[in-house]
Amino acid sequence: MRLSVNLNGLKLKTPLMLASGTWGLGDNIDKFFTKEEVETYIGAFVTKGISVNPREGNPPPRLCETPCGLINSIGLENPGIKEFKAKYLPMLKIYNIPIVVNLHGEKIEEFLELVEALKEEEIEGIELNISCPNVKKGGISFSSDPKAVEDLVKEVRKSWDNFFAVKLSPVGAVFEIAEICQKQDVDAIVVANTYPALGVINLKPLKIIKGGLSGPAIKPLTLRLVYELSQRIDISIIGCGGIISGKDALEYLFCGARAFQIGTANLIDPRNVIKIIEELKTFEI
Amino acid sequence: MHFGKVSIHKRESENIYLLGIETSKEIIKNFQPGQFIKIKINYRLDPLIPRPFTVHAVEENNFYILYQIKGKGTKALSKLKEGEEVEFLAPLGKPFPVLQNYVICAGGIGIAGFGYLLQCANSKNRFKPPDAIFYGARSKSELVRLEFLSEFKIPLEIATDDGSAGYKGFITDLIEEELKKEHKDILACGPLPMLKKIAEIGKKYKVRTYLVMETFLACGIGFCRGCVIPLKKGGYIHLCVDGPTFLAEEIDLETIS
Ligand SMILES: Cc1cc2nc3c(=O)[nH]c(=O)nc-3n(C[C@H](O)[C@H](O)[C@H](O)COP(=O)(O)OP(=O)(O)OC[C@H]3O[C@@H](n4cnc5c(N)ncnc54)[C@H](O)[C@@H]3O)c2cc1C
Ligand SMILES: Cc1cc2nc3c(=O)[nH]c(=O)nc-3n(C[C@H](O)[C@H](O)[C@H](O)COP(=O)(O)O)c2cc1C
Ligand code: FES
Repeated sequence: MRLSVNLNGLKLKTPLMLASGTWGLGDNIDKFFTKEEVETYIGAFVTKGISVNPREGNPPPRLCETPCGLINSIGLENPGIKEFKAKYLPMLKIYNIPIVVNLHGEKIEEFLELVEALKEEEIEGIELNISCPNVKKGGISFSSDPKAVEDLVKEVRKSWDNFFAVKLSPVGAVFEIAEICQKQDVDAIVVANTYPALGVINLKPLKIIKGGLSGPAIKPLTLRLVYELSQRIDISIIGCGGIISGKDALEYLFCGARAFQIGTANLIDPRNVIKIIEELKTFEI
Repeated sequence: MHFGKVSIHKRESENIYLLGIETSKEIIKNFQPGQFIKIKINYRLDPLIPRPFTVHAVEENNFYILYQIKGKGTKALSKLKEGEEVEFLAPLGKPFPVLQNYVICAGGIGIAGFGYLLQCANSKNRFKPPDAIFYGARSKSELVRLEFLSEFKIPLEIATDDGSAGYKGFITDLIEEELKKEHKDILACGPLPMLKKIAEIGKKYKVRTYLVMETFLACGIGFCRGCVIPLKKGGYIHLCVDGPTFLAEEIDLETIS
């Protein structure tokens, strides 16, 4: 099958994007791939969520495995936009692939500050995370508040000309928010982030983790969202949820996604990227 | 991921197994004591995430892990048969620190990583042999690899909770006796209560104390930021890239449970 995709101007050599938070900030890519492999297999690199100020993240436990899934509560640990630009972005730019910076803010002003800070950089796109389930005051309020999303998206669109995606939560006012994105000229929506979940680490004394569920366990749920959104709305959809094989990816592409992101698959094996694309190539479609 | 073949799979006690994996010398030559591997279990979706194990020993183009059955991952691992293919990621994490006058303290399966340290120290590379090995377990039947450990001709002090072998009581009691006589650095791996006690003893006798820590890992390579250990000065350190061995005085053991 033909692999290259043009998402409203964002040119991807393959439809595979590395999902936010599952390849760090790209500082380790060279340990697992040659430059040629990166440029052949990875359609675009999406960074870990970046905020205005550095964030330490949540106290442990941050992870809990569930049958076919993983609950995480990382709490957006990141070095902040300043250090990201100074230290990490130059390492990513070695590669000739599009860089999409995933942005996290708690208020519209913070998102705008991040967008402003990235304007002078040569990056291909931004992805607004309005859906992280792991920060208290954070994005979750956006995903249940379409009006707030509308204000946010409108302002960001005014000041950002390149590729602009919004990453939705799979819960909350999903359809309404997708419609707003379409109306406000957002280039693509990422469907979706993790599902709010709870894992029990120990029964006595009770030790739990509240976080976001990812991995194969969520694939049928997110696939349905992608399909139904694609039936109703005319905006590019990037499918994201539980893809660990070429066949999984193909299902998303056939159910309405124009590209896809892989997250948990990278944590199982960093070279799953190559396996997925090689498998995808074998389908005669 | 690298590929290997199960060369030996042997039960060492009721729930401890020795697993040998044959792979290429090219891969093994990069292994250092204290580092770990992440092994994919049976290509299944459940358990989803490959499990981490310390390198226990190396022999030509084979390496060994020594593991204890804990839950579904290790249970599935124990079903692997000789000759079966396995996939693993390695080497991961930082090696043990290079120490001069020190003792090793292992509680239960915590003995696993020290086998390779002893092998390396024996082959006169930069790692030095410890002055003594302190090894504790619940009972005699849970003390494993004693023959292998005795090959290195290093004094071995044993303690069991039930007194079925060696001293009856905690291995930390024996370490404290030793330190009373002579101050030595400590390198310890074992259950959390033992590590907490070792940290106290290390502080009391003012010796450098290193602890091998554990958390659930996802990526094992620094991508996901899921494996944090809290620091005394505030903030976190990542077990899979900065550890698993840490200076006891730097980590906030009180908040870890
Ligand atoms: C760097 C490193 C090296 C290791 N080396 C060895 C070794 O050489 N030999 C060896 O036997 N073991 C070693 N371990 C431990 C080993 O990896 C685990 O025992 C194994 O992964 C358990 O898998 P399981 O599926 O059998 O058990 P699981 O089903 O995963 O459960 C094991 C236990 O962990 C608890 N648990 C699950 N998730 C969490 C969480 N997020 N936080 C805290 N607790 C949790 C469960 O409740 C359960 O009690 C090492 C661990 C690390 C991090
Ligand atoms: C450890 C971890 C960290 C993540 N961090 C972020 C993040 O910083 N920002 C974000 O938008 N999504 C984050 N996600 C969500 C993923 O990008 C992805 O949307 C989700 O995991 C579903 O895809 P998957 O099933 O392929 O993993 C994270 C997921 C995991 C597992
Ligand atoms: S396990 Fe992913 S960063 Fe350590």
